[in-house]
Amino acid sequence: MSAATALAPALPPRRSRLRLIVALLAPIALINAIGFLAPVLNLARMSFYEVEPTGAMREVYTLATWAKMVTDSFYAELIVNSVSVSLGITLLTLVCSYPIALYLHRSTGTWKTILLVLVISPLLTSAVVRTYGWIAILSDSGLVNNALGALGLPPQRMMFNLTGVTIGLTEILMPYMILALLAGFGRLDPRIEEAASTLGAPPFTIFRRIILPLTLPGIALGCLLCFVLAVSSFITPKLLGGGRVFLLATEIYDQAIVTLNWPLASTLSILVLVIFGGALVLYTRALRAIL
Amino acid sequence: MQIMDERPVSLTLKILAGVMFAFLLAPLIVVLPISFSGDAFMTFPPTSWSLKWYPAIFANSKMTAAFWTSLVLATVVTTISLAIALPAAYALVRLKPAGAEVLSSLFTAPLLLPTIVLGLAILIVFARLGLLATFPGLVLAHLVVTLPYALRVLTTALATLPIAVEEAASTLGASPFTVFRRITLPMMKSGLIGTTALCFLVSFDEVVLSIFMTGPRISTLPVAMYHHVEQQADPLVAALSVLLVVLSLVVVLVVDRTSGLAKTFVK
Amino acid sequence: MTDQSTAPGQGTDGTAGEGFLSIRGLTKRYAGFTAVDNFDLEVPKGELVAFLGPSGCGKTTSLRMIAGLVPATAGRIVVGGQDLTTVETHRRDMGLVFQSYALFPHMSIARNVAFGLEMRKVPKDEIARRVKEAIALVHLTGKEEHKPAQLSGGQQQRVALARALVIRPSILLLDEPLSNLDAKLRDEMRNEIRDIQKSLGITAIFVTHDQGEALTMCDKVVVMNEGRLEQVGTPVDLYERPKTAFVASFVGRTNRLKAVAKDGTAEFAGQRVLAPAGLSGPVQVMIRPHRIALSPSTGGEGVTGTIARAIFSGDILQYDVDVGGQIVSVELATRGGETVLAPGTQVSLSWRPQDIFVYGAAA
Repeated sequence: MSAATALAPALPPRRSRLRLIVALLAPIALINAIGFLAPVLNLARMSFYEVEPTGAMREVYTLATWAKMVTDSFYAELIVNSVSVSLGITLLTLVCSYPIALYLHRSTGTWKTILLVLVISPLLTSAVVRTYGWIAILSDSGLVNNALGALGLPPQRMMFNLTGVTIGLTEILMPYMILALLAGFGRLDPRIEEAASTLGAPPFTIFRRIILPLTLPGIALGCLLCFVLAVSSFITPKLLGGGRVFLLATEIYDQAIVTLNWPLASTLSILVLVIFGGALVLYTRALRAIL
Repeated sequence: MQIMDERPVSLTLKILAGVMFAFLLAPLIVVLPISFSGDAFMTFPPTSWSLKWYPAIFANSKMTAAFWTSLVLATVVTTISLAIALPAAYALVRLKPAGAEVLSSLFTAPLLLPTIVLGLAILIVFARLGLLATFPGLVLAHLVVTLPYALRVLTTALATLPIAVEEAASTLGASPFTVFRRITLPMMKSGLIGTTALCFLVSFDEVVLSIFMTGPRISTLPVAMYHHVEQQADPLVAALSVLLVVLSLVVVLVVDRTSGLAKTFVK
Repeated sequence: MTDQSTAPGQGTDGTAGEGFLSIRGLTKRYAGFTAVDNFDLEVPKGELVAFLGPSGCGKTTSLRMIAGLVPATAGRIVVGGQDLTTVETHRRDMGLVFQSYALFPHMSIARNVAFGLEMRKVPKDEIARRVKEAIALVHLTGKEEHKPAQLSGGQQQRVALARALVIRPSILLLDEPLSNLDAKLRDEMRNEIRDIQKSLGITAIFVTHDQGEALTMCDKVVVMNEGRLEQVGTPVDLYERPKTAFVASFVGRTNRLKAVAKDGTAEFAGQRVLAPAGLSGPVQVMIRPHRIALSPSTGGEGVTGTIARAIFSGDILQYDVDVGGQIVSVELATRGGETVLAPGTQVSLSWRPQDIFVYGAAA
């Protein structure tokens, strides 16, 4: 037998492969840099720019805008409001979505597919369309008030206030919550429920002690998702609130487009991101505690 | 699915779910009758019925212009998204460079940002680049949000392909490019269709970014509708909404017919 | 670690060292471990060779290196005089049958089989003819327009085979093609593959972890363990003259016993056994259960032991015999009419010298 000829095969692939990879990834990297990385980094930078009393912006670094956040009561209230309203909406969405998700989880076959399509279908339409539908329902001449009138009950103001925004936003976020819950329902096994039943647990106890705990990961995920969507939601608060409901997102828009105070808008945006970060941290802690 | 005893769903759950479903679908259900309203304002229930709002859409020059812009925009954005995301997905999944996961996270990061923040960020940079209220600017802004979706769907589709089949083609004499063209691409068909539908709908319905990027000279349909609702809430938008919902349903149906809805999106 | 053990009547082509397929020093190293270590092999034209070994022994990696799907770290692969080591997969002209069949799901059976011919730019009418032949060869005529999903596992297997054969490759590679089939189909396919290979005279390599497959189908068997070649030989060779403890225990059943060697002999249960020169200290003694003769002890010479267990399983009567503290399994073919000896009975064991193997102690 011949001795082992240790001839390492020349791998032409290596260098030309790298060139190929770079070529294939260049376009998306470019768009990502121009449309995402640069703008976001710039945003952070902009929050430190100065705004003169005239409204003009000077490219000088200052902490004035950030100081305003802390000292001006309007902004302190704005932030607290946005967070608390979003938390409330998240909770409401959870309560409304859970029955649907559970029912969907227990369905099978074509019926399940139909239900799934129904749940997803609102996501396929624009936020404007869905908010418009809510205007039709909640406005003074809308569905609810006309129904109340027909029953002889006093009309309720549900638009241009927090109530309308809450109701509308809750419904709009439901599909997201439902999908997140469904994803987390994987741990549910009918046999576990059966075991609990044979051990003497009545249905509501089974729900409280078995189903609910097992679905906590899905609940956590859904809450995180809906909270961040609520905090940053713009269209619905603007249209249903009619400019009289002040939340972070609407304020960002106003400062950016109307007042043209970009540093202020940037600062508010960074704040939104900070709130996001906080929510994410809470979520990961919660997940660790659950699992 | 399970041959074992089907758990009877409790009546309480059925009722609760039913009520919540009604809540969920309320706005969409309400919009339909209003589109046939004969009133000048958005009252519900309508006091009179008419079909006048449908033709009114086409008479409204702003709306029709915005519609065409949205249509062309969505088509352009979808095409470019596919052209960019497909090579990127191939590079990340098949060529597996070092740091592929980091890159993948970076490219899908735009989805994590709230659109209001992204919109502001892009507004500031694009203003300086002179891209505001221009078609190319809109395309670029939309690409920022459609590319992550496209990349996710395509990388998943590619990753679930059995690589042995591509190897088999290779042993039979197909060059890498031929393998991609004759084997990989056809096997990715449902992923490609899903990406196309997703990108199209995302772009067509995109509103927050577009609000920042549009102006009197150029507008998209969702933005035009937004401004219209801001000023006067009349049934015109209802008629328009119905048409848009139908459009979305058509897209979904096409996807389902060609490759199965569940298979495309439920991973 | 290479071997010259050949049996009479090997392949007609080539003298030793000049096989149709020549593998020299083939090595594959990954960060942290070596999958294939310095693998040498010569395969004459027309021979069916098995790569046999447990999972992780490097047999599949070696096959994939031959196919070009895995780049070799070192070594050379020469086919018919041509060095293919750095040639890309699609230019190596080999047919590979995958364990998962890897049929193209979006193409009909006919298109699947035709694919390799299309890549070679064979004219259309010739493609049609050869595809028809190949499909007939694997007994699937009539199913040309079906899609893979419509066929059973065994049928898909045959399509994979046809697809690899129709291109008349210089070498046919099979990567555990029968593992996903049930036992009955496996036996059928074993014979079919063997017959087709012989009738076409095509050089083939067959990777398997099933020693039964390797022994019954192949002209030569390459036994691999932990990336290294343990022994190459005909099935008879490997069974009767295993060169290492691994081969002795992997191919066929064997007893594995401990003993101590000194100066060329090992002491085992009062008997002296020839040990390879140079071995001293603890050794392994191996002997196959059915190569031991057993008779009730008359108190004379020979190895004596006590029956610990008697197991009757129809074809075979197995005795576990306690010899000096170690259990030796003895298998006797039943002939009817024998009495099963009870546990506790003293028995004498004997064997031919060439049936006992002594190796160094396990690492």
